[in-house]
Amino acid sequence: MTSCGKPNQDTTDYTKTFPVESGGMLIDATIGEPSGLIYMVAGESAAAAISGNIFNKLLKYDKNLDIEGELAESWLISSDQKTITFKLKPNLKWADGKPLTSEDVLFTWKLVTDENTRSPYASDYQLVKKAEAPDPNTFSVTYDKAYAPALDSWSGLQVLPKHLLEKQDIHTTAFARNPVGSHYYKLDSWTHGENLKLSRNPNSVLGPANIDKLVTRIIPDNSAQFLELMADNIDSMGLDPIKYSRIVPARPELQKKLALYKELGNSYTYLGFNLKHKPFDDIRVRKAINYAIDKQEIIDGVYLGLGINIASPYKPGTRWSNPELKPYPYDVEKAKALLKEAGFADSDGDGIVERDGKPFAFEIITNQNKEREKSAVLIQRRLKDVGIDVQIRAIEWASFISRFIKTGDFDVVVLGWGLGLDPDQFSIWHSSQNQPGQFNFINYNNPQIDTLLEQGRLELNPDKRMKIYHEFAKVLLEDSPIVYLSAGYGLTAIHKRVKGIVSPAPPAGIGYNSHEWYIPEQLRRAETGRNEIAEK
Amino acid sequence: MLKYLVKRVLWMIPLLIGISLISFFIMHLAPGDITNNEAAFNPKASEESRQKLRELYNLDKPVIVQYGLWLKRMGTLDFGNSFASHQKPVFWQTTDKDGNVTKGMIQEALPITLMINILGLIITLSLAIPLGIIAARKYTLWQDKSITLFNFIGFSIPGFWLSLLLMYWLGVMNNWLPISGLHSINYESLDTWAKIKDSISHLILPVIIPSVTGLAGITLFVKNGMLDVFHQDYITTARAKGLSEHKVVYTHALRNALLPLITIVGLSIPGLIGGSVIAETIFAIPGMGKLFFDSVLMRDFPVIMGILTIGSALTLIGNLLADLAYAWADPRVRRGVVRN
Repeated sequence: MTSCGKPNQDTTDYTKTFPVESGGMLIDATIGEPSGLIYMVAGESAAAAISGNIFNKLLKYDKNLDIEGELAESWLISSDQKTITFKLKPNLKWADGKPLTSEDVLFTWKLVTDENTRSPYASDYQLVKKAEAPDPNTFSVTYDKAYAPALDSWSGLQVLPKHLLEKQDIHTTAFARNPVGSHYYKLDSWTHGENLKLSRNPNSVLGPANIDKLVTRIIPDNSAQFLELMADNIDSMGLDPIKYSRIVPARPELQKKLALYKELGNSYTYLGFNLKHKPFDDIRVRKAINYAIDKQEIIDGVYLGLGINIASPYKPGTRWSNPELKPYPYDVEKAKALLKEAGFADSDGDGIVERDGKPFAFEIITNQNKEREKSAVLIQRRLKDVGIDVQIRAIEWASFISRFIKTGDFDVVVLGWGLGLDPDQFSIWHSSQNQPGQFNFINYNNPQIDTLLEQGRLELNPDKRMKIYHEFAKVLLEDSPIVYLSAGYGLTAIHKRVKGIVSPAPPAGIGYNSHEWYIPEQLRRAETGRNEIAEK
Repeated sequence: MLKYLVKRVLWMIPLLIGISLISFFIMHLAPGDITNNEAAFNPKASEESRQKLRELYNLDKPVIVQYGLWLKRMGTLDFGNSFASHQKPVFWQTTDKDGNVTKGMIQEALPITLMINILGLIITLSLAIPLGIIAARKYTLWQDKSITLFNFIGFSIPGFWLSLLLMYWLGVMNNWLPISGLHSINYESLDTWAKIKDSISHLILPVIIPSVTGLAGITLFVKNGMLDVFHQDYITTARAKGLSEHKVVYTHALRNALLPLITIVGLSIPGLIGGSVIAETIFAIPGMGKLFFDSVLMRDFPVIMGILTIGSALTLIGNLLADLAYAWADPRVRRGVVRN
């Protein structure tokens, strides 16, 4: 089956259209192996990518990022906004044929909130004062006070089967490597360090998916992954900007078989000030730095144009993002004027401004992330233009967190926030959240913001909630506790044999309808795992 | 001889405890713990949850207490479970009450690394010894010079770069060899013969590339050993006796020149167990190097300690075996041992 001696010459025309048909195998790759497939205790993104195909949640986000039912057919919020009652769809089944009922949901809730469960995600569910399953189709939760992010939290909890996990230790159970779920796919095999193979679950509660088999290969090196993609041994992978905009377009043989997709990710990069340190407590200084940084230059230089400017901590185009807000423009004169107003001037003529005889100099720290390091270099250059002396230090992640972030021993950071789909950002911005290890490590403290965040948590009406978060983002932008640098696009290459992908991507991203993707029989790879087209 | 052996084995116990103590403290000198990495910047993961994790893992206790707990477990040869990898046993498989077997992390990674590195060592030695002999016999002639040139090119080329280049040429441009991994996707469905072929084709690049880049050192060693021996009186005697050049080189000179190689092989044992992070990452091989590297990044203390302990135990055993092999091969050493 090995050597054939001829170069890979693929003459198939992948652009033809085909009717929808089921079957086939899609191979993708992950750089990290999941530690287990029980997401509440595994926690990492590699686990989420695979367990998301195996387990269902009560609710999910649709393509426009509005919440809809997944296991739940409907849900009812009580008039005091404290109780949510979910009605499950009828006749749900686990992959092993056993019925899936509200008892399973209740069991999952008990499991995630159990004090012996080592879950990093328990806090949302611990707010539930009472959870009940009065009949097999009904599950209700009651909170002490209205909690708006609740619906989002129920779109994140993967429901686990009680009949297989009861009396098991969630941390050591073999179920984590041999799970039984209810979603489109079930796990067939897991070869440590090599691959995980999934096949269609005949009892899928949402009906059958089109593609028969999903194989995820574990390939830790990005270049090796790309070589596998070039050799047609995998069907899709995430690309970096260079591969997306330079390498693939420059090679006709790759263009012929690969379709490129870009979608806004749920994350952004920012420059954050330690607001307890002088002079960053001065809003004029923060604004001056904001004006002095050329964000477009960072997007063009670091992300090769594959990113956008943002003015609020929400994904542009979604309901929570305030369309009226505009990012701070690049304006050196304004920056200089603001610095002067704040008392900074270059009195000794060395190009660096001083206040009270002390030159304005600080260190930007970041973790070892190429994009962030490059962004920091561009910022360093721009800030020099307005007379600020910047040093840069990149630090390994675990040391970065415990030595600098937790202790508050830093002036300025360049970091990123990955965001959930719920607008609640209490844990990032509320003044109560600045203890060591909490997320408001920049020590932001603004009573107006605190009030808005508290209101937003209590308001379950989406329209009223939207107004609150639009106002929140406006105050935040004006106060400039961080400088939004850019929101990068997620870039993906998928082999053109995969049809049914919606492009351009809706707000939820191209993956939202992956169960509708299909691979026409004529375009399937000979199922040897290695491409054998050259031999035909 | 037996007394010597028993003494050496007993000595290993305090040595291992010392190594583990130093390793444990050095490991804890690095800032951070597992809770920094598990969902560190996920706003959904609260500090209370992480504090709870820290308590469950005993990370809130003083380092010396943690070491005591670890040593106590080690007394029963219990290497514990990984923090990061869903409580997988660190060393050897466990069976739960339902008969489900969970394989140990080192149990899975070590055979792969050992196989690749031992194959690599065999290839290196079987190339380096003839090359070294030729270079010594043709010293300063063109054969010697071209071997030296070839070796140093191999030595200077970064392994990862050569790997990527060969992966592109052999795997992408020509469909001759697989690019990464240990098996094809359809491995299970192949017959035995095809399975063997599949495994071999996946091993070619990861085994050959490190052997070629590692050739220089050992070739030079053999060459210099041979040159030294050639100047010895007994070689002159052998030649004066009228022995054939073949007999002089392969019977008298080579055996003596190869003695130091035992030491070299003994010294390479930690490397055989350790594996290479870069090669294993590029070729997507789930071996020891990758396991150790990931554990360090995740601050997965039980795994780090497990690898260090098993690695040092195997290294000590390897050194012992090398000494014994030396004694077996060289009567002079043997007599020295007996006198001690």
